[in-house]
Amino acid sequence: MTAKVVHKLFWDFEKEERWLNEMAAKGWNLVRYTLGAYRFESGEPGTWVYRIELLPGGRRRAASREYLTLLRDTGVETIATYMRWVYLRRPAARGAFELFTDLESRIAHYRRVLRLFAGLLAALVAAEAGLIVNNGGGVAFVVPLVIVLAGIVVLGVQTVRLQRRVRSLTAQRQVFE
Amino acid sequence: MTVDDRRPLTETIFYVLLALGRPLHGYGIMQQVNGLTEGRVALGAGTLYGALTNLTEKGWIRPLSTAADERKKEYVITDAGRQAVAVELERLEELLRNGRRIVGEEWR
Repeated sequence: MTAKVVHKLFWDFEKEERWLNEMAAKGWNLVRYTLGAYRFESGEPGTWVYRIELLPGGRRRAASREYLTLLRDTGVETIATYMRWVYLRRPAARGAFELFTDLESRIAHYRRVLRLFAGLLAALVAAEAGLIVNNGGGVAFVVPLVIVLAGIVVLGVQTVRLQRRVRSLTAQRQVFE
Repeated sequence: MTVDDRRPLTETIFYVLLALGRPLHGYGIMQQVNGLTEGRVALGAGTLYGALTNLTEKGWIRPLSTAADERKKEYVITDAGRQAVAVELERLEELLRNGRRIVGEEWR
């Protein structure tokens, strides 16, 4: 068995999930994740199906252990947790592995991610405003200004994308459950 | 029961309520619903967990405090939950009655 570490940053958890499943299809199975570093081990191609989920925050957060127990009961392994994100996998032999099987819960999950991004976006905008107000000039001023601005743009794009997703699913709900 | 509580239930909610006539934990509910629908409804863990949280907050089901392991809670339907199912059944019967009559008689 060989292992490798791949460094990569994703803003779109579904793209990330697709990538993990493509890797698994090629026989590279994610076994560990810490911010931006994916550790893969080689194995039989197509053995695992991977899913990424953002667990609930706030007062519903305490119940997450109960949820992880439920996942374990259904044959799901928790590979990694990063803040409220969990990286999960289940043997492909157990059939289709979907965490959300109706529109309602898929919308709720997107909204959860959307709220997280909106919160981060607000924090970045506040930081940017702070930088501008305390304009010191020079490189020490411009570099953080540009970095925070880049963060705002990326998060802004993701927020809009998620909003569109929620809207399209909500429209479907006019017809389907 | 408020007017809001009389809205149609989702399939997930309806089957979770049906399954909880006797105490079951999460995985037991999944198996029960899968069996009832002959494999048609395979509840995802995230979907089921969201339903359990919402139904508990609504007071239509409740966790059993006797559960030895807090992480493996059992749930059971409440009287309010049974009433919600009864209201939904009436609605479904109306759908069926009207559907059968129109498709079976008038559309022939």
